[in-house]
Amino acid sequence: MKKMIQAGMIAATAIVITLSSCSKDPVNEITTVEKTDSLVVNFSNSSSFAFFNFKNGAVVANTDSATTKWDFGLRLTTFILNSGAYGPGNAGAILQNNIYSSVTAAPTTGYAYDTTTSQKAIKDGSWYDYNPTTHSFAPKAGQTFIFRTADNHFVKMELLAVDYAPFVGPVPSQLIYRFRYTYQANGSVSF
Amino acid sequence: MSALVKSILFSFVLISILFTGINAYSQYVAKDTGFNKVYTIDEITVSTTRTIKSIGDIPVPIQVISKKFIQQSGSQKLIDILQQQTGLILSDNPLGQSLQGYPNPFGSGIQMQGLDPAYTLILVDGEPLTGRNAGILNLGRIAVGNIKQVEIIKGPATSLYGSDALAGVINIITEKPTGNNSLLQVHQSSNKTWDFSASQSFKKDKTAIQIFANRYSSSGYDLDKTIYGQTTDPFRNYSFAGNIQYNLNATTQLQTSARLFTQKQFNNYLVYTANQPQAVEGSSIETDWSFNNQLHYKISKKLKLISRLYITGYKDNAEVFMMSNKQLFDKSYMQQFLLKPEIQVEIGDKRNQKLIAGAGYNFETVEANRYPDKKRFNAFYIFSQKEWMLYNKLNITIGGRLDKHSLYKLQFNPKLALAYKAAPHLTINASIGTGFKAPDFRQQFLFFTNSLVGYTLLGANELANGLIQLQQQGQIDPSVNITPYLGNNTLSPEKSIGINIGGRYLLHNKTTFTLNIFRNDINNLIDRYNLPFSKTNGQAIFSYININNVFTQGLDININHRLNNLFSINAGYQYLEAKDKDVIKKIKDGKMVKRDPVTFVSSYVTSKEYGGLFNRSKHTANLQLFYNSNNKKWGANIRANYRGRFGYSDINGNNILDDGREYVKAYVLLNAAISKSFKQGFEIQAGAENILNHKDKNKLPNLPGITYLVNLNINLNQLFTKQL
Repeated sequence: MKKMIQAGMIAATAIVITLSSCSKDPVNEITTVEKTDSLVVNFSNSSSFAFFNFKNGAVVANTDSATTKWDFGLRLTTFILNSGAYGPGNAGAILQNNIYSSVTAAPTTGYAYDTTTSQKAIKDGSWYDYNPTTHSFAPKAGQTFIFRTADNHFVKMELLAVDYAPFVGPVPSQLIYRFRYTYQANGSVSF
Repeated sequence: MSALVKSILFSFVLISILFTGINAYSQYVAKDTGFNKVYTIDEITVSTTRTIKSIGDIPVPIQVISKKFIQQSGSQKLIDILQQQTGLILSDNPLGQSLQGYPNPFGSGIQMQGLDPAYTLILVDGEPLTGRNAGILNLGRIAVGNIKQVEIIKGPATSLYGSDALAGVINIITEKPTGNNSLLQVHQSSNKTWDFSASQSFKKDKTAIQIFANRYSSSGYDLDKTIYGQTTDPFRNYSFAGNIQYNLNATTQLQTSARLFTQKQFNNYLVYTANQPQAVEGSSIETDWSFNNQLHYKISKKLKLISRLYITGYKDNAEVFMMSNKQLFDKSYMQQFLLKPEIQVEIGDKRNQKLIAGAGYNFETVEANRYPDKKRFNAFYIFSQKEWMLYNKLNITIGGRLDKHSLYKLQFNPKLALAYKAAPHLTINASIGTGFKAPDFRQQFLFFTNSLVGYTLLGANELANGLIQLQQQGQIDPSVNITPYLGNNTLSPEKSIGINIGGRYLLHNKTTFTLNIFRNDINNLIDRYNLPFSKTNGQAIFSYININNVFTQGLDININHRLNNLFSINAGYQYLEAKDKDVIKKIKDGKMVKRDPVTFVSSYVTSKEYGGLFNRSKHTANLQLFYNSNNKKWGANIRANYRGRFGYSDINGNNILDDGREYVKAYVLLNAAISKSFKQGFEIQAGAENILNHKDKNKLPNLPGITYLVNLNINLNQLFTKQL
């Protein structure tokens, strides 16, 4: 447990550093900006999804699940998109085997959608390695998610870490997903 | 069997030994037990080549651990004795190491030539032990007090023994009847560890009998007081063994032996139910028995027939209960049975020119709570080996074995070995052979759903049934097309080719050098994969597939040197590289990325950074110094084992070993023992293990700190003879 808490703390510190360095960057001339954010989900495969909106860089309330306010949702290790079986939006995704910084443009075609509840765009188990020793869900290095958002904008995203939230006693209650992303506000494919 | 029955049985054997020991005094004259005798290689015979040979005649790398070494170490744990040998490394199961200060649930075994414990065949008197837990056998099932010697053959031995002998064979030879002899041993060591052994051997006319009984218990230890429960929990076990040799006439001998082991391991730990910590307690009971009947019939000087019947059973039952309300929390069991008749002929009377051939049949069943029903298998095998001696210098051995198993296709595994006597004191060996390992039960039959996360693991043979069942239960959406997975998903055995080249050199009759260079290529390794659709709860379904290719290569060197009449020294070293070929290719192709866990910067892994498979030390070494006084009354030894750094687990998102922070640091284990024997027939020994007190509660939970031991060995016959 201590190891997890430690890892969590290290990650949290790193986030703070990343965030603070971001805020110092001049952002006026640039249409895209790289942000680092986090999303907290319950350690349960039956609780409701946590939703995220890239444009605002904000968590969306679960009550808005039937709207296009969210782009992707997360429950334990399951990603859903605002399309097909899960939402009224147009959200799609491509999981690319490329280093985040080397992805300079989003493909215009080839996006996968959540056509049914069992055939999802992002397959569970495809993006992490589960370690039975530490029970960690480590996001695979060198994978970049390219999203088309619910309102047809392009985003590249990298999962940085999935940590167990600090807890008292041995009970895992929450996972903290940390990710960086670049949202192209002008609607073009370039990052 | 209840504890009471075991205690009574144990006391009975103990009393009978004391009784016969006292009665035997008048007819028994103590003799040198060979405790301080120095052997030359030709005097040590081994049987792991399926025929009795002196080790100097064996063209493949072999190591023998003598009773003397075992006694001098003072240890009662076989795994500790094995890991003091060059190239035998204590290794956790790759499925799981420790979990936050708890030992891994799969146990530890012996890694040989860089291959995981599941790739070494463990035999007792030439017959396989059953009851592997995810590939690992609990070596604690073999009571050290009843071991006569341990024979270790490195490199594939499948051509003689079939599945699992890819890295080699560890054959544990138990004590045989040796005249009239009564021995008692009391061992005490740290962590309230007690061991009581008693053995008795009789010989009358054509019959020789040996019986052995042992009780071993320990209270375990706790390396981290801040977490609930001990690092290892208490256990106690009983072993009984009996061995009868009956010479029907000059040409026929009957050997029958039986073995029973039973262990109760207590468990007490925390579980999480409904997000609340709950303490549970319970126990697991492991029972292992075997019956081994052999008939040796010498038809003529040139023809010998051996028939063997081996029957063995293994059972593991575990139950844990909530401490708060005594309700059952979890229950698991595994049960295995093997019946193995075999016949072998040995043709020829000249040394190193024999032909052996044999055939056998395995009837096996296995049942476990995580497998849907009772499984039955049948396997038939034949093997043959022929040796030639050319110009009195070159020994050529060719062998092969066919295995027809009901679960996988016919396997043929050949082996060629050469031994060349280049000079009177120099022998050069070379061998090449193939090996295979049958998919384990878990990979074939598992049907398991994780209750916390909700994913499902299906063994390859259960995949079709499991998917149909999950879909019928609504756990897989009806729209998912499962038909591509309903065909034949049978796994193939994992295959290897092993090459060993080396030699042995004897200098001035005082120093022996041995060198062996090895390379193993293993193909078709079975790994878990993720099905392309998920369950309705969003969680993944996993099954098993033949996919990986790895190699291991390296060399080992041993030097044994007698300094003078008093001192002798052993030194050993192994260099090892073990890598995944697919990972090497991915790195070369620039497709392997790492992400620093602190800076989150991603970059490509270089070939230089790749450290190979986890759990392998590039460098391991040992150094042992033995002293025996001239009057043979005093003995002392000091033994050091070095284990170079080895990979523990991934931290940078690519599941391979490529970062300095992913290693366990190198360490040294230092052990020492001193003994004094008295002419009355007893010996006292004291020792300490892990003298440097090396500990790592997270990464090495199987290693307690420094422990002390005391042994008292009594030879009853000698004791009472001298008192007369």
